[in-house]
Amino acid sequence: MSDENSSCCNLTGSEPTATRSSAPMWIIVVTLSLLFFGGLYLDSHSGWFDAKVYAPYNSAEKLEVFQPKSGTAAAMARGKGLYEGVCGICHGSDGAGKAGQAPTLAASEWVTAISFNRLAHIPLAGVNGPMKVAGKDWNMAMAAMGAALPDDDLAAVLTYIRTSWGNNASAVTADDIKKIRAEIGRSPQAYTVEQLKVLPE
Amino acid sequence: MKTGFSVFAAAFIALGLSWCGLVYAPIQQLGGTKQTVVLQSSDKWPMQRTGDATLGLQVYRANACAACHTVQIRQTGVVHTLSITDLGVHKAVDFKAFMTSLMAVPELMKCSNSIVGSLNQWNGSVPKLLFSGEESAMVSMLGDKLKAVGVKTEARVETTGADIARGWGLRQSVAADYLYDTPVQLGSLRAGPDLANLGVRAPDVNWQLQHLYAPRSVVKSSTMPAFRYLFSVRKVGAQPAPDALALSKAFAPSAGFEVVPTAEARQLAAYLTSLKANVPLYEAPFTPITATK
Repeated sequence: MSDENSSCCNLTGSEPTATRSSAPMWIIVVTLSLLFFGGLYLDSHSGWFDAKVYAPYNSAEKLEVFQPKSGTAAAMARGKGLYEGVCGICHGSDGAGKAGQAPTLAASEWVTAISFNRLAHIPLAGVNGPMKVAGKDWNMAMAAMGAALPDDDLAAVLTYIRTSWGNNASAVTADDIKKIRAEIGRSPQAYTVEQLKVLPE
Repeated sequence: MKTGFSVFAAAFIALGLSWCGLVYAPIQQLGGTKQTVVLQSSDKWPMQRTGDATLGLQVYRANACAACHTVQIRQTGVVHTLSITDLGVHKAVDFKAFMTSLMAVPELMKCSNSIVGSLNQWNGSVPKLLFSGEESAMVSMLGDKLKAVGVKTEARVETTGADIARGWGLRQSVAADYLYDTPVQLGSLRAGPDLANLGVRAPDVNWQLQHLYAPRSVVKSSTMPAFRYLFSVRKVGAQPAPDALALSKAFAPSAGFEVVPTAEARQLAAYLTSLKANVPLYEAPFTPITATK
C-alpha cells in the first residue's frame, strides 16, 4: 500500500464487508428495455425456433407462402424431369423417338388418344410385337418401364407426354393410374397391340 | 471467504444458462433432423453417400480443406416472379397499352411503374420477366388476368443472395443437407469457392483428380496448393494405367512416367462430386425447372 492512498482509506486490517444499497434506477430501465426490445426481435425473427424456418423466412407462415404452387405446373415440371431420366433415353428428350430404339411420342395416336386407358397400360405392363405408330411400322418390345414409378409420378410423366411437343390431350391423375394398375394386377405379361385394342378407349 | 457459495452459484447459473443456449436448445431444435423429401416429388433427401465419398469426407478433413473452403450457401432473400412465356396473338406494342390499362386495377397499382417501365424497351422476346416481389397475391392475380386474354405466364419462386448470384448454389444450405456428415465441414473462410454444390458444377471425377494434382492445369488463376502427395508418380509399365491422369505437357511428369491417383485421392474426388444442394426442400423452397402454363 502506498502512502498516498493510506490517507484516503480507512484501513483497519479487517476483511471488507458488503452493505446493502439500492440499485440505480437507470440500470433497471436499461435492463427492462433491453428485455422488451429483445422480446420484440425474437418475436419477429425467431420463427419460434421451428427447425424448418431459416432466415430470410421469419415464420412458418412466411415459409408456407413461398412454397411453389402445386397443380399442373408442378406436375409438368415433375413429369419433364422423370421423362428425361426414364423415357427420354430411348424416346428422345424431344419426344421424336429414335430409329431402331423407340417410336415417336409427338403426334402419336397412342399418346394423344382422347382416353389414356390404352396408353397407361404400356408403361405399366410393357408392350410387345408389331405396332403402327404415326404411320410407321415398329416391331419391338418395351419393358414395363413405368411399373416401378409411384402413381403420381407416372401420372405426371403421362401428362407431360400428352401435353408436350405439340400434343394437346387431357391430363392424367394419380387416381386414374391407381385404378389402371389395380386392373392390370401384379407382374403382368407384356401386351400385344391386339390385346391393347381390346381394351376400352 | 463468506461469499463462496454465492460466487459458485452465480458461476454455475451463468455457465448453465450458456450450456442451455448453446448445447441443449440446438439439440432440441435440430437434433431430430431426419431424411426428408425433395419438394413436389417422392425422392428422398439427402441420399446416403457412397462408401468412397464417406471416406472422402475424412480425407477432406485430414487435409484441412475447410480452412479455405466453405460448404454452406447463404441466401438473403426470396421473391415470387412472373414471366411471360408466350404472348399468344398479341403484339409487344399492343401488349404495353393493355398492361397500362390493366394497371388501373387498384391492387395492381402499386407495381404499375416497374411493370410498365420494364415494357418500354421490350421487343417482344420471351421469356420476359414482368414482376418480381414478395407478394404472391400479385403474381396469381396478374397471372389470371393475363391467362384470360390468352397470354401464357410462368410463376416462379426464386432465391436471391450473393452466393446464389455467383452460381455457387440454387438455395441456402439447411441442416438436412449435412445429415450424413460426421463431422460437418462447414468452414468459415473462403480463400477458395464454396463447395456446397460442387458436384453439380464439376461432376467429372477426372476433372477433380486433375485439379487436385495440378490446380493450375485446369483453372489458370487457381491459388489452391497442389495435393501431389495424394498421387503416385511411377514408371509406365507394359501398358499405361487406365486411371492415369491425362495431364497437359506443362504439368505432366517426364516421359515414361505417369500420375496415378491413390485411394485417398479417389475418395476425396468421390466426396467432392457427391456435394450437391440443387433440389428444393420445404425449408428452402424455389421453383426448380421451367414449368409453363
